Amino acid sequence: MSSPAGAPIRLEAVDLGYTYAGATPTRALENLSLAVRDTEFLAVLGPVGCGKTTLLRILAGFLRPTTGSVRRDGAAVEGTSLQIGYVFQEDAVFPWMTVRDNVEFGLVARGADPAARRAVSDELIGLIGLSAFVSAYPKDLSAGMSKMVEVARVLATDPSILLLDEPFGALDAQTRARMQDELARLWERRRKTVVFVTHDAEEAIYLADRIVVLSSRPGRVRADFPVQLPRPRSQEARFSADFSALKRRVWEALG
Amino acid sequence: MNGAAPALRTRATRAVLSLGVMAVVYGLAAEAGRGRLPDRVWLGTHYVENVQLLPPYRSLAEEGTFLVESGILTGSIAVSAGRVLLGFVLGAAAGILVGLWTGRRARAEYLAGPWVTFLQFTPALALLPLYVLWFGYGEISKVLLIATNVAVVALLGAHQGVRSVPRVYLDAASALGAGERLTFRKIVLPAALPHIFASLRIALGLAWVTIVVAELIDAQMPSLGYLLTLAGAYPRVPTMVIGIGTIGALVLAFDLLAMSLHVRATRWMRRAA
Amino acid sequence: MLGSASLAALVLAYTAISNAHVFRPEVVPPAQEIAVAFTELVVGTRPPPVTEDQQHAAHHHHHSSDHVGTLLQQGVTLQASLAITAARVLFGLLVGAPLGILLGILMGWSRRADDYLHPMYVLLRSVPPLALITYVMLWLGHGEAHRLIPIVYAVAATMVIPAYHGARDVAFTYLVAARALGAPRWLLIRKVLVPAASPAILGGFRYAVAIAWMTAVGAEMLMSENGMGNLIVGGGLWASRSQTKADPAVVMVGILALAAAGWAMDALARSAAARLTRWAR
Repeated sequence: MSSPAGAPIRLEAVDLGYTYAGATPTRALENLSLAVRDTEFLAVLGPVGCGKTTLLRILAGFLRPTTGSVRRDGAAVEGTSLQIGYVFQEDAVFPWMTVRDNVEFGLVARGADPAARRAVSDELIGLIGLSAFVSAYPKDLSAGMSKMVEVARVLATDPSILLLDEPFGALDAQTRARMQDELARLWERRRKTVVFVTHDAEEAIYLADRIVVLSSRPGRVRADFPVQLPRPRSQEARFSADFSALKRRVWEALG
Repeated sequence: MNGAAPALRTRATRAVLSLGVMAVVYGLAAEAGRGRLPDRVWLGTHYVENVQLLPPYRSLAEEGTFLVESGILTGSIAVSAGRVLLGFVLGAAAGILVGLWTGRRARAEYLAGPWVTFLQFTPALALLPLYVLWFGYGEISKVLLIATNVAVVALLGAHQGVRSVPRVYLDAASALGAGERLTFRKIVLPAALPHIFASLRIALGLAWVTIVVAELIDAQMPSLGYLLTLAGAYPRVPTMVIGIGTIGALVLAFDLLAMSLHVRATRWMRRAA
Repeated sequence: MLGSASLAALVLAYTAISNAHVFRPEVVPPAQEIAVAFTELVVGTRPPPVTEDQQHAAHHHHHSSDHVGTLLQQGVTLQASLAITAARVLFGLLVGAPLGILLGILMGWSRRADDYLHPMYVLLRSVPPLALITYVMLWLGHGEAHRLIPIVYAVAATMVIPAYHGARDVAFTYLVAARALGAPRWLLIRKVLVPAASPAILGGFRYAVAIAWMTAVGAEMLMSENGMGNLIVGGGLWASRSQTKADPAVVMVGILALAAAGWAMDALARSAAARLTRWAR
């Protein structure tokens, strides 16, 4: 079920514009306006290079918009926040730390004591099914497992907003399907606000409550529509008529 | 390029084979050269006759035994290696600390930049006369020269290491709420470590090159450099060959040690890093 | 650039401190003396003494061998010495670099060659070139060869590793792809291997330049009557160090000149490398 229409707006972009400086300045985003409501799962979909990563980084506070404004819970965004968990496109687990140390890192930053940290990391590592690997180094994990460690790390500090940048891009189809289910499961249990960036239409439809389609560079909103498939979603749902209809809609929006 | 990598045993065999061939070729050349090679050496003011330029293994063994039993060789090794170690430790500590500092703070880089560039481009040995002027002939000037050269290399390594930490790790740490100190301790330092170790390996090789020349120039017994100079004055070729071989062996040993330390400290790093 | 401001501050600070009689002038030469020594060595002669102070100095110099005087007597000038050392460096680079690169590429290309040659290479490069010089001298006497050989040797040894890694690691992927496309060997080498390995090689070249300078100066300090190394140690004064003292001003001039030359050559190497690997950006 998507969040009720009256749910508060967690993240809001108003007339956002971003230009990358350089030899030839590139306009990545143009007049982009978007609102993300509490506990909704929003997929941001667009072709390669359309600026969706840029948008996500601005929402996270890594980048300052060139024009327009971005707000979190009504206040202007000034850098990163403990309310936001960010999962990167690239491999972001710290290779010199074990799985447990990785997951506990956010808690260490917070000054939590070892016992409390352990409890949280035990639970999360169990949740992602890697209890056998608590003391392993990332080099001993597969790409999918590594990415789940990153998700667990982000969840450890219990942020209410999750931003994910094409996290499953590097995985094969099978693993990816599994990871999508894991993510959906985690979201169902913990009810976070999620913004999920992807270029894969099927992934977006499978996971999200609502899809926003961006145009190619400079990115602006081309379409914005809800996904009304029943939850919890099974892999079977991918073959239903409603799913196909949504896919068609997305294709048309992508142009 | 050949396809699948041959087994370790094959590679080890080949290595042993090639070294063995080298050893045999030397032995043969030494024997054969007895009558054939020139045996007259000009020493700047006069000729010396009957010099055996390629000493056969027999005379090398004899000379080696003499050098070891008399304590000359072992004493020289201790002194030279000691200077290298001391200079290396001092230089590495100083260089790494300053390099970490300039890597972190742009202002520090501006301040230290010209100094470092200056030292970087001054041929390492040119500073020796200066140090001798300041500190006299003796231990200090040599150890300090090594330390200077090591420090420059270590500094650049640490600086580069800090600068080349992948952005994504810094962003991840910041998103997780890590402050500057925690980020430096737990993210920047471990990420920079491979770079730092690589530069220390180079610095170690440089330290040996430096000490050898410093000892050749400022000759005082006991030291390996002076051993070479002295042997060259007679000339006592077996000693020279043994001296050169000893230096090579020491450099190699130190390098292997450094490499194994590097591998151990970056145990986590077998992925594309 | 803040860098040059810092440099200027350094120069000023040095002038102040060296004149403040904090250190003995034999140890920290006053900035003016450095400038004087510089001029003398560039011009090649001493200006005739005019003031009484200068006449005293000239008299003093005449009666004890002094660094600059000895050098000037030998007809040494700063620019000539620098040119000579630079020429040796260039020779070492031009001869040593191709040797080292060829060996490195050979070892990187053929696993078999690598297995046989690598141990020998490791042993040989472990011996500092200037240690070898004492032995090589016996074979070749005191000619130019015994100064150039260590430089060539040092450069070659330094260039092997970058070429090796460039060929083995970087080029391997491209070579496999090109081979699969059926490219003949010659083409593979010229159009794939060399360009793919060149960033690593050019990076290593800058380091080899520094090594070449260091070895050249060292060789000159040990046994040469010309070049910067010789200038710094005062033309054979090391041999008779009890008799004469090296002039710190000359040493400073030498060091500064070498640093400037080294920096210039590195800047050249850096820009050449940048231009040659524009595609690697």
